[in-house]
Amino acid sequence: MRSPFTFGWVLLLASTVAPATQAKPLNDAQLSDVVHTIDDRQRNSGDYRSLAYLETKEKDKTDTAREAIVYRRSEDEKLMILFTKPKGEAGKGYLRLDKNLWSYDPTTGKWDRRTERERIAGTDSRRADFDESRLQEEYDARFVEESKLGVFDTWVLDLKVKPGVDVAYPVVKLWVDQATGNVLKRQEFALSGRLMRTLYYPSWKKLYSESKKGDVWYPGEIRIYDEVEKANSTIVVLKSVDLRPLETNIFTKAWLESKSR
Amino acid sequence: MGQLLVIAFRNLVQHSRRTLLLGGAILGVTALLVLLVGLLNGIRSTMLESATTLMSGHVNVGGFYKVTAGQSAPVVTHYRELERLVRENVPEMDYLTQRGRGWAKVVSETGSIQSGVSGIDVRKEAGFRKVIQIQEGSLDALAEPGTILIFDEQAKRLGVRAGDQLTLSAYTLRGVANTLDVRVVAVAKNIGLLSSFNTFVPEVTLRTLYQLNDDSTGFVLVYLKDPKQVPVVQERLRRVLGEAGNLLMEPDPRAFWFKFQDVNREGWTGQKLDVTTWEDEISFIQWSITAITWLSYTLVGILLVIIAVGLMNTLWISIRERTREIGTLRAIGMQRERVLAMFLVESFLLSAAAAVAGVVVGLALCAALNAAHIHAPAALQLFLMREELHLLVRPSAIFGSLALILGCTTLIAVLPSFLAARMQPVTAMHRVG
Repeated sequence: MRSPFTFGWVLLLASTVAPATQAKPLNDAQLSDVVHTIDDRQRNSGDYRSLAYLETKEKDKTDTAREAIVYRRSEDEKLMILFTKPKGEAGKGYLRLDKNLWSYDPTTGKWDRRTERERIAGTDSRRADFDESRLQEEYDARFVEESKLGVFDTWVLDLKVKPGVDVAYPVVKLWVDQATGNVLKRQEFALSGRLMRTLYYPSWKKLYSESKKGDVWYPGEIRIYDEVEKANSTIVVLKSVDLRPLETNIFTKAWLESKSR
Repeated sequence: MGQLLVIAFRNLVQHSRRTLLLGGAILGVTALLVLLVGLLNGIRSTMLESATTLMSGHVNVGGFYKVTAGQSAPVVTHYRELERLVRENVPEMDYLTQRGRGWAKVVSETGSIQSGVSGIDVRKEAGFRKVIQIQEGSLDALAEPGTILIFDEQAKRLGVRAGDQLTLSAYTLRGVANTLDVRVVAVAKNIGLLSSFNTFVPEVTLRTLYQLNDDSTGFVLVYLKDPKQVPVVQERLRRVLGEAGNLLMEPDPRAFWFKFQDVNREGWTGQKLDVTTWEDEISFIQWSITAITWLSYTLVGILLVIIAVGLMNTLWISIRERTREIGTLRAIGMQRERVLAMFLVESFLLSAAAAVAGVVVGLALCAALNAAHIHAPAALQLFLMREELHLLVRPSAIFGSLALILGCTTLIAVLPSFLAARMQPVTAMHRVG
């Protein structure tokens, strides 16, 4: 069930990305297909729940580990992250409602509106790392080259933010595995062109979704490296992904508050 | 009256040991009072000067701009129009300037700090040069784009010196990550709390980092000829800016960064202006002034009580020793009022001489301490925003101290003097010893 790829997927790749495997640059249609596929494979068209382990290393600081539950609902782009461990962080959470990201701290009982681009719980991860992929909506893609990433043959794509769209990183560079269509590496650049973060996706997993009537792909692990402060990094491990429908009232402030009582 | 003065003077001279003891105590308290008042005034004046130069004008027109409800930035748009309104409506104004406000991660090869970033035009800010003491590099170089002034403490944490490169990393008004490489052109001496969380860059550099246009800034700083006019000007500016169609934030006497959470919680978008005073902007350290003031008052209060007990006791002894003298004076026709006045004049004469001497000693001590350029303790430097202690004694403070000491001592002398005056001449003359 969670095998990185299936026979069907291999067939799909063979049909859609065949020109690239023959070491030719992607044309516009193929490029669009590749980006669309990246988004589509991760989209569930339903509910999503997973356990997330976040391990953060920062220079001159003790390593920290956190455990959280991530809830998502594709229908209205809702997202909730509820921290469960360590004890001091338990009950804290983020809730995305109507394009607003709220953070809740049970020690004060207060809700604070945060920017969508804010670091999650002080780690190197961002809200977007836990959310569905929306590359095609947000960026214009350009094929750069074919290159080897370790043993993998990859397409390198440059993505530039579309006019009028607000994203944290206006330029993104992707290394897409030619064989699987999975993103293996992602680099994010600031407006100035400086490299800000590098993300590696060493494992991808899939799960059949009843709501999508197809497979949903998710990264089993994300390794995030801060490129401004080189010593800082975060590893996000996603486990126990469940695509069954969640309770209807789950994406509310009251529900999140109730978890810390 | 002349007679009374002579009697009082002779009596003081006759009981020289008692006079010296009590006079010395009054002198000490007065000198201490002058010193404390000088210290308090010095701290307050240093804080005012440092704060109004480095962090705030006497009155500020700032505010927040929100692109989305959850994303606020301390930015004022169309600031030239605001400057025009200020110029037209504040005749008390000495001069005005504007500064950018930001918060960024400052990164070096070996470390990083989170810090406030102020965008200034160093050529326009004469007061800035008076307060900032450059340890390394040049303040003039801060006029060049792509430069930064940091403080000694920050330089040590980042492991950089003048000439080294730093990277500023921040999010623009629209939440897009941006970075800017800047060159350290000046390392300034620490100025307390501000050294930990503020850096200065040219305003154009801050605009580049935050992608702001030429007509946007952080806040407009208004300096008045007389800082006492601050409340009046603040109230007038709120009214004028409101009438000009600007949305205003509710008055909130806190520094601007304390308001982020509240502003982000509110659902509005666009621009809201905030008119604050220098006291609002440094309210986070005002408690220290209040604490020092109350501590000083308590100390002076305790000393005054000791003096009061001493003086009263001395007068009681004096009256007891002079009971027969009082009886004789009353018997030869001196009225009760004159006896009362005699003792009051005596205590006043002693207090006045001692208090004046105390003021002189206090002033000399203040001058000596100022001349010694004493380094303030690290904890005090945090609030002073300066390394050196500075005592400031104003004439009003001298007269105030004198009046307080004289008033208290004379008041204390009233009861024993009144009791002395009430004595029956026969009873007084029969008193033995």
